[in-house]
Amino acid sequence: MTDHEAAAHSAGPAPLDRFVRLCVPLTGFTAYELRSTGMAQLYFDTAGREIGHRSLDAFLGVWEEAHQGGLGPSRLPALERELARALIYLWYTGAFPRIAPAAHAELRRDRPNQEFVASPESYPEGLVWRAFGGHPAGAKPPGFGTWGDEPPVLPTEAELAARIAAEDAGPGGAVAYDAGSYGSAGESGGSTPAHLLPGPRSSRAVSPSAVPPASSHPVRETSPEAGE
Amino acid sequence: MSVHTTGAAVDGRHYDAIVVGSGWAGSLVARHLGRKNWRVLVLEAGNGGTDNWVDYQDSVRTFSSAVAKVPNSAYRPNRAAPSPDVLDLSPGGPGNPDGYRATGHFLQTGPLPYGTDYLRALGGAGMHWLGAVPRMFPEDFSTRTAYHYGLDWPLGAADLEQHLRDAEHLLGTAGESREQHRLGTVPADHEYPMEQIPPSYQDKVFHKKLDTRTVVDKVAGNREYRLQVYGLPQARNSTPNAAYPTADGSTYKPRGAVGVPNFGERCVGNASCVPVCPVQAKSSPLRLQQDFTGTVEIATRCVVSRVLPGRGNTVRGVEFREYGDPATPASRAYRAEADVVVLAAHAIENAVLLLASHMANSSGNVGKHLMDHPTLLAWAETPPEMPVGPYRGPGHTSGLECFRTAEGRRQRAPFRVEIGNWGWGWATGAPMSSVSGMLGLGGDSDGEVNPDGRYGPALRSALGSHLNRQVQLQIAVEQHADPANRVTIDPSRHRDAMGNPRPIIHYDLAKHVRDGMYAARLAALEIFKLLGATDRSSYGAQADGSYPLGHYRHSPDGVLEELDLVYHGAGHGAGTHVMGAERATSVVDTYQRTHDHPNLFAVGCGSMPSVGTSNPTLTMAALALRSAERIHRDLAELHQPVTVAGPRAARTQEVAQ
Ligand SMILES: Cc1cc2nc3c(=O)[nH]c(=O)nc-3n(C[C@H](O)[C@H](O)[C@H](O)COP(=O)(O)OP(=O)(O)OC[C@H]3O[C@@H](n4cnc5c(N)ncnc54)[C@H](O)[C@@H]3O)c2cc1C
Ligand code: SF4
Repeated sequence: MTDHEAAAHSAGPAPLDRFVRLCVPLTGFTAYELRSTGMAQLYFDTAGREIGHRSLDAFLGVWEEAHQGGLGPSRLPALERELARALIYLWYTGAFPRIAPAAHAELRRDRPNQEFVASPESYPEGLVWRAFGGHPAGAKPPGFGTWGDEPPVLPTEAELAARIAAEDAGPGGAVAYDAGSYGSAGESGGSTPAHLLPGPRSSRAVSPSAVPPASSHPVRETSPEAGE
Repeated sequence: MSVHTTGAAVDGRHYDAIVVGSGWAGSLVARHLGRKNWRVLVLEAGNGGTDNWVDYQDSVRTFSSAVAKVPNSAYRPNRAAPSPDVLDLSPGGPGNPDGYRATGHFLQTGPLPYGTDYLRALGGAGMHWLGAVPRMFPEDFSTRTAYHYGLDWPLGAADLEQHLRDAEHLLGTAGESREQHRLGTVPADHEYPMEQIPPSYQDKVFHKKLDTRTVVDKVAGNREYRLQVYGLPQARNSTPNAAYPTADGSTYKPRGAVGVPNFGERCVGNASCVPVCPVQAKSSPLRLQQDFTGTVEIATRCVVSRVLPGRGNTVRGVEFREYGDPATPASRAYRAEADVVVLAAHAIENAVLLLASHMANSSGNVGKHLMDHPTLLAWAETPPEMPVGPYRGPGHTSGLECFRTAEGRRQRAPFRVEIGNWGWGWATGAPMSSVSGMLGLGGDSDGEVNPDGRYGPALRSALGSHLNRQVQLQIAVEQHADPANRVTIDPSRHRDAMGNPRPIIHYDLAKHVRDGMYAARLAALEIFKLLGATDRSSYGAQADGSYPLGHYRHSPDGVLEELDLVYHGAGHGAGTHVMGAERATSVVDTYQRTHDHPNLFAVGCGSMPSVGTSNPTLTMAALALRSAERIHRDLAELHQPVTVAGPRAARTQEVAQ
């Protein structure tokens, strides 16, 4: 990308607006919530730098089309699916993750495939803490004895989807939430499948995004990928 | 307020006492001697700075920026006075299940890794410790006599009672005396300065599900253990205890942050006590340094390299190097002299200093008996209708104590079950790794993009529910003094950037300890069953064929099924200059005075012949206060004029009251 393109990428509110708008269905948080972290610009810049501005633009295009078509991230082609995960991880933790080596190679990134924290301010703004109704370790302390309180009742998946749909309603109306293509297991929850849980961190030096899952992903009979 | 000085300024000067190290041990000794009007020089190898508000905030920011939020992640690396770091260790890789690789400050030669760190900076490891201060049980002081393993102390719990109380006062401890008395760790008339830190919501769930239930220990001859959740005494600010007796009859006043008034006088639940408490409600040695009188001078960035011999078997002072920039170890050598030298540089660094100085080692025991609390982590997921709400409050506020005492110890090492309040953080890197896990991020073992994952509303809701159900038990197993576990040096081959010898560590787990850890694993499974939680612990081969660091396989008797087990370091380095009555088998006496040199003391966890199942710092602090009193008496005697009473004697009399 030329300097001119780079300038165009970060100039003006429109690209940033689009970035935030497209991150809403990815994260499950409303645009207002995303904006209120104060991190939107930083994450947009970080993602552009990490995966390349052109690749980021291309990804946003593919994702926008899928989303408009009513499809969730699990229907994206492999590379885009991994980029969607990377962006979500950035929003949820304040850190850019280590991504699947295959995706790293395909992007021909000029930087090491290593997790790093975007800034000291981004860590406490991670959405993961809000996802379970907590607060970041080492910031925003809730007060003496509050750890004895019952954990809050969290919004259900359907409520979250409805909230986002209401905000998303463009001229063509809201995009329906296709739970299956967001990986939903239905509301009942129950015990989490092992392949979606972290396994042990084999040493403290392993960054969180490099911790392998507790078991391998089940082998799929048919590829879910729309583009293939 | 302490007086800051420099190495250059004190070169060649003479003090009443030199204290090497400004952690809990050194700060307790220096504070006491200063209040008795002795002129004290504290030499601290690491950086200072955290004793003012602005620089303390720098530590908080450093922590926030760190990918791996390990104990040393809030503190900047220092080439001149390097610290060991848990990041220095990695597993052996596929085909090498029990192997490990070590880089950094320690050179490791043992069959298993020593996974414990410390911090060389003002305040020492007392900056990143958790602040758990349970007492040792009286029986922990004599395991050799009672249970035929380990080393006995030359003192008992009762001998330390007053000093333990003083230490609880100075560390600023919150706890529930009645409950601790029932447990058998404190006398009936005991009070803590502050009321117990409120239990976490999770603790209450454990109470409800576990109290009065029983667990059978197959390793300890099928003994039955009755579970009971107990609160944890902690050096963390809570509500003052109105019943706590103070010298002037007033209510105990919690001490807060250093450098800002009226701040940090209550724990507000930042939930980051390790590595850094942003409000300083967790106690640290910086508080004691605020009490230093004008007679105590402290010089940071001064690394002591050896103790200087004096006349006869006495010591004269120390040699040290002062550096300006922690990134470049350019430094100058200086000397300072004193009537008494106190090494308070941490168990491992004390051993290095004694070995490098060729001192105190007539028994050959310097560096031997290195201990820790090897810790088994066990983690589980509670059912959706039973969230426990982790990632809130101090690291742990309650535990299960029944496996710590009595006859079972004969068959296996005792252990203390900490109920962790921070989810699966230690074991798996959660909650961050829970995000990547739930997303399916990072690819499979071939590096290909994973098929499954949750996104958007499905992710937020599943992750929110799951994270509130993460339970982690941290089970600290007693490690007894074993002469084979040791610190040595090899100055001709292994030196740090400044030229000081690096610690060479040889470490292993004895059978008794391995048996204890095996029993701990079975107990965890039973506890999870009683909770109705799904065990998610994993200790064996991982997807890429490698094994987690600290892995070994074990069966206590060859009959019980062999299990994969994994231990972690607890940060409780101890036992490198053990205390004893016999100079042939120990390094220091009950005052932590080296047997070989009447004016050389080695204080800290290194003096402890056993650590029981209690975090060691409280006991160590009591020992440090006991030593400080002894040193004061020694100095007073030394300066007692034989014929006429001069001004010095008058001073001594006055402060002795
Ligand atoms: C992560 C973690 C959590 C812990 N949690 C707990 C807990 O909850 N409860 C508990 O009881 N214990 C806990 N501990 C242990 C506790 O931190 C130590 O027992 C205690 O801090 C030791 O104090 P010390 O003064 O003896 O040594 P240190 O704190 O290590 O202090 C030694 C000082 O000497 C300095 N020094 C070293 N070498 C030299 C030299 N050559 N010249 C000059 N100065 C030197 C160092 O820079 C340092 O300041 C924990 C430890 C860790 C690592
Ligand atoms: S819970 Fe928070 S406020 Fe309390 S001691 Fe720990 S870090 Fe400090």
